[in-house]
Amino acid sequence: MTLDPIKPAFDPVTLAIPLFVLTIVGEILLRRFRKVKAAYETRDTATSLLMGLGSNIAGLLTGAAIVAVVIWVWQHRIFDIPMTAWWAWVAIFFIEDLTYYWFHRLSHERRFWWASHVNHHSSQHYNLATALRQTWTGGVAGTWLLWLPMALFGFPPAMIAIQKGISLVYQYWIHTEAIKKLPRWFEAVFNTPSHHRVHHARNARYLDANYAGILIIWDRLFGTYIPETDEEPPRYGLVKNLGDFNILRVAFHEWIGIGKDLAGSRSLREVLGYLFGPPGWSPDGSRETSATLKAKWLERQKAEGEAEAAPPMAAE
Amino acid sequence: MNALLTQLIGSAVAVAAMVGLAAWARIPRPTLPLDQQTARDLIDTDYPGYPINAVWIAADGLGAIARSGDHALVLAQLGDSWVTRDMAWEAAVASPIRGGRVRLRTPDPAAPNLSLAVSGVTPWPPQRGPEAPESLIAA
Repeated sequence: MTLDPIKPAFDPVTLAIPLFVLTIVGEILLRRFRKVKAAYETRDTATSLLMGLGSNIAGLLTGAAIVAVVIWVWQHRIFDIPMTAWWAWVAIFFIEDLTYYWFHRLSHERRFWWASHVNHHSSQHYNLATALRQTWTGGVAGTWLLWLPMALFGFPPAMIAIQKGISLVYQYWIHTEAIKKLPRWFEAVFNTPSHHRVHHARNARYLDANYAGILIIWDRLFGTYIPETDEEPPRYGLVKNLGDFNILRVAFHEWIGIGKDLAGSRSLREVLGYLFGPPGWSPDGSRETSATLKAKWLERQKAEGEAEAAPPMAAE
Repeated sequence: MNALLTQLIGSAVAVAAMVGLAAWARIPRPTLPLDQQTARDLIDTDYPGYPINAVWIAADGLGAIARSGDHALVLAQLGDSWVTRDMAWEAAVASPIRGGRVRLRTPDPAAPNLSLAVSGVTPWPPQRGPEAPESLIAA
């Protein structure tokens, strides 16, 4: 059997579109009849779905150039990895998932890439429609470069595309409040609705956590895993939520913010800090980053813990 | 090309149908007009540790402005959720009223304009009276 190493035999995301529609309809109807936990606000839902549609169109604009670069790199590959070998699929499953982890972590911890990813987190809801609130500017931001080493190593472009699609489809179904927890063995190994709710939370304790694509093991390995707790339910959205449902604002607000900051920069340090520092970085530290928010939260926790632990005042 | 166009048109129709279904289902989070305590709790969630001197509630109960020293902490409803921003108290007090709403401009491109309903009973800036604590009165 031969498989075209350039053109994917199938696109998992395209094949999954009917599944996306059916499951969103299902989640809405089940919530309507009070069978599951979920919330859908009409304009929020429209924004999420239009962002998904726009993402497809934006992908068309940059897709051809990206594919051309991947093919060119693969033509200079180090090894020949056959698409028909089972071990190649096992290998790409783990390697692609590890690549996704670092792409996702970079997309949260460095502002330049956060600017293209922030829209996915801009809904204050967490439902299956939120999963489709995808980036319009990922191609321009260049995060796809992280997958190039796989092509250089020898994985055929078609194989990379298929595995990326499988990962994206896997990550769709975890955007729900309808599923609370899955069996312990599954929660230990795989990314789940519970793990990903933490990732979408804006609570200080949950910030910058659970970057996994399919396997949560990477977060456990690299120290970014935080479990969901019943005592503090996730609140979804951004640390500073958007002021309206305008999809152009959803897509571009952080880029505009970067532009404004760069226009006011007075040194190379400021330029680099605004571009590649963590989101919220400012020269004088007057803005909040995830790290400062977490530190303040920890301080409050400590102070509250000490207050609770203090012995009661003796009655006179 | 035709297949691509068909896919895009099909997706657009599906989007319209899903949005229509969500509207029909009426399943947003329940929200009630704000009272003092709810406004304080919501603002405290986003601005923990900020001492709140007093809170002004918008005429329709869909927003509030809290005074925290020299800061105005603005709370505005968006759909079934909330948006907060902080600005200088003086800037908030000086914000223009148009169409029965106080128009608050922020330097943040993520939420450049927030507007809250005002009325004769709940004017902005707050006027001296039993409903407005001293700390809310514009100098």
